[in-house]
Amino acid sequence: MFITTFKSITILMVLTVILTACNPAKDQPNNQAETATKNITYATAKDINDMNPHLYAGSMPAQGIVYESLVENTAEGIKPLLAESWDVSPDGKTYTFHLRKDVKFHDGEPFNAEAVKQNIEAVQRNSEKHAWIKLSTKIKACRVVDEYTVELVLAEPYYPTLAELSMTRPYVFISPKDFKNGETKDGVNGYHGTGPYVLADHQPEQYATFKANPNYWNGTPTIPMITAKVLPAGETTYLALQKGEVNFAFTDDRGADSVDVEAVEQLIASGKYQRVQSESMNTKMIVANTSRQASPVHEQAVREALWYVVDRETISKDIMGGTEAPAYTLFSKNVNDADIPLQERAYDPQKAASLLDSAGWVSTEGTGSRSKNGKPLTMKLDYDSNSSSQKIEAELIQSAAAAIGMKLELTGEESTSIANRRSTGEYDLLFNQTWGLAYDPQSTIAGFTSQNAYLYATQGIPEAPKLYKTIDQIMTTTNEQTRQQLFTDVLTIVHDEAVFIPITNGNITVVAPSDLKGITFKQTQYELPFEQMSFEK
Amino acid sequence: MSIYIVKRMVLAFLLLIIISLITFAFINLSPLNPAVVVLQAQGIPDTTEELIRQTEQQFGLDRPFFVRYLDWGMACLQLDFGHSYVTNQPVWSTLGPAFVNTFKLTLVSSIAIMIVSVVLGVICALQVGKKVDKTVRGIAFILTAMPSYWLAALMIWYFSVKLDWLPTSGMDSYRSYILPVLIITISYAGIYFRNVRSSMLSNMNKDYVLYGRASGLKESVVMMHILRNSLQVAISIFCMAIPIILGSTVVIENVFAWPGLGSLSIRAILSRDFPVIQAYVLILAISFVIFNAISDMINAAMNPRLRNGL
Repeated sequence: MFITTFKSITILMVLTVILTACNPAKDQPNNQAETATKNITYATAKDINDMNPHLYAGSMPAQGIVYESLVENTAEGIKPLLAESWDVSPDGKTYTFHLRKDVKFHDGEPFNAEAVKQNIEAVQRNSEKHAWIKLSTKIKACRVVDEYTVELVLAEPYYPTLAELSMTRPYVFISPKDFKNGETKDGVNGYHGTGPYVLADHQPEQYATFKANPNYWNGTPTIPMITAKVLPAGETTYLALQKGEVNFAFTDDRGADSVDVEAVEQLIASGKYQRVQSESMNTKMIVANTSRQASPVHEQAVREALWYVVDRETISKDIMGGTEAPAYTLFSKNVNDADIPLQERAYDPQKAASLLDSAGWVSTEGTGSRSKNGKPLTMKLDYDSNSSSQKIEAELIQSAAAAIGMKLELTGEESTSIANRRSTGEYDLLFNQTWGLAYDPQSTIAGFTSQNAYLYATQGIPEAPKLYKTIDQIMTTTNEQTRQQLFTDVLTIVHDEAVFIPITNGNITVVAPSDLKGITFKQTQYELPFEQMSFEK
Repeated sequence: MSIYIVKRMVLAFLLLIIISLITFAFINLSPLNPAVVVLQAQGIPDTTEELIRQTEQQFGLDRPFFVRYLDWGMACLQLDFGHSYVTNQPVWSTLGPAFVNTFKLTLVSSIAIMIVSVVLGVICALQVGKKVDKTVRGIAFILTAMPSYWLAALMIWYFSVKLDWLPTSGMDSYRSYILPVLIITISYAGIYFRNVRSSMLSNMNKDYVLYGRASGLKESVVMMHILRNSLQVAISIFCMAIPIILGSTVVIENVFAWPGLGSLSIRAILSRDFPVIQAYVLILAISFVIFNAISDMINAAMNPRLRNGL
């Protein structure tokens, strides 16, 4: 028996060695010392996943370097990308795009009007999944005029057309050869875009490598290879950065920093790394559900009082470590059409208390909390338990509110539950953020009328009908000046009604080798232009 | 013996049915509409009533609970665990490789745990009460008490960053195994070697040892007899360590970016990828049942008295 036991142990050991040896010991580019200084290996908490650009499971930073859109959204407005130029018909319903003639997909297929038509039609055939992007409900037809000219016909004029065509998905182009049975909605056979990088290798849940596209129409990128390495734990990312196994990290698409503020400081102190921060990309805020008639949150004075008890300076300085600036309006001034004069409501608990007093919310003897007609001033505040900062922010706001007799009950829930509450209206107050520069203000404002976004938040205010009518007008007006005025009206209404209580402005933080130059940002918080980066010689 | 095996297997099968039913029921208790969950898992930013209806039809979510359970159960018997909500790939195509990766790590770790436990257990038993015994037990106590994620971060810092001997994470070559195996061994061997030690000690005081010595057997022969009887414990350890480690590598896999079951399950839970969660629970349950049965059968083979216990 003793011998049999030993035999089985030996067999198991041999089996283990074989299994271990079977493990492909791939030469990962980041392990080679000589290329380590020339390439970028970035840490990512999630795998790049399904890279199909007409669906939503893939990683946006990765999709951003493989696929391109017709036009690009920049700080200076819409610029040409795969379309050299475009004309808009006087009625605003027909967009004619003149395509670049020197573009090929990664598999060698030509990029032409036919490819554009096939891609756009494939997206439209799955339009239910693209309901969030209103353009998908406006496109009537896509016609080939000649080999490099394509016409997009809309059912009615829609001003954010170009902005929505510039987004990372879904209106980007994949080689028609990758289509499965002429469709992209049930998966694709390959991931060939027209972008500066080509997906070269993908080991699910381990890493993905992207090689510089030698035939890129805008010149081959300087950095030959970008690797996305999956590192779920922040501590490991920090140690891997120290060791040089990865040399690049940035704020992920949910706004969570993988490496904490102090660790970044240490990396920079070592001299090997630099930190680059984008300007404000979005606004983190508390959304008030004005349609909850039974809750105090229905009342404007209560929402305004809450606005006054948010100590944004302290949140920015102590909770966010100075990485995010205090926000006093729904959109920061650098957002298109949003630089308008609005009353600034800074931290002022006394003002908050007097607002409540005049609205009839009076302190009950002994308890210190307020009530009106026997109804206590109590509201629920839901935060995302996956966020590292929301809970602390919520507690700070809770204590400041308690000091003026307003009771906030905090509940931490998963991101999906928070999203579910938002779309069913089952909340008083919840943490949220605007969608980012490329999407603000038009997509966020369009969200005011969408049940899944902010319909419940906005429909309880007296001016709601006017608000929705103005939003409709914004989307269809073709006059720039009129639109600016309409935007001002919308933003003023929701500001005065204190529907969206801003906290801080989020941004992207990049940790990169100190000799990496050309680190710039796009208009979205989800991608980085790696093709513009290069190492100092 | 064969009756014992048949009884054991019937019991195991019943257990699996109960576990799968409970898993399926718990996941369906969620207050969210499963179609909405599917769409959220796919990252669809906005949902419409029409889309929800389409999704319900596509995934068959509009059918009654027991019909869905039976369909799922029958498909599972053919190793078809459905499609992941997130990637739309067959669950097995992600769960399979992840299971193999975790199993490799588990197997190497279990062997390391067994060797370390037996060696330390025997040494401590022979040196009972002496300095060596006390020191080993003291160090094991301290090491076992350390949280593994903390110990892992320390080890990565020292061996990978400072000494530059090993990779910090990933699964590139045999060198990637060293640190995770070390951490898992430290966490478990510290507990298991005590079992070997006490088993050795109790055997050393048995009558057969006294008679053996009295009849003039060589000390090495006596030791072999003691070891053989004590090894029953080691086999149980080995068999039970495998499913336990399989199910508890979450922390280690997360820290070492090991593309295994632990990381997969966490991701599936966070994105509510129900088919993956169900398959994960089922696979773990099967591993527990199988290894438990193997352990019982080996012990029963070695010790006939156990066969009548069922």
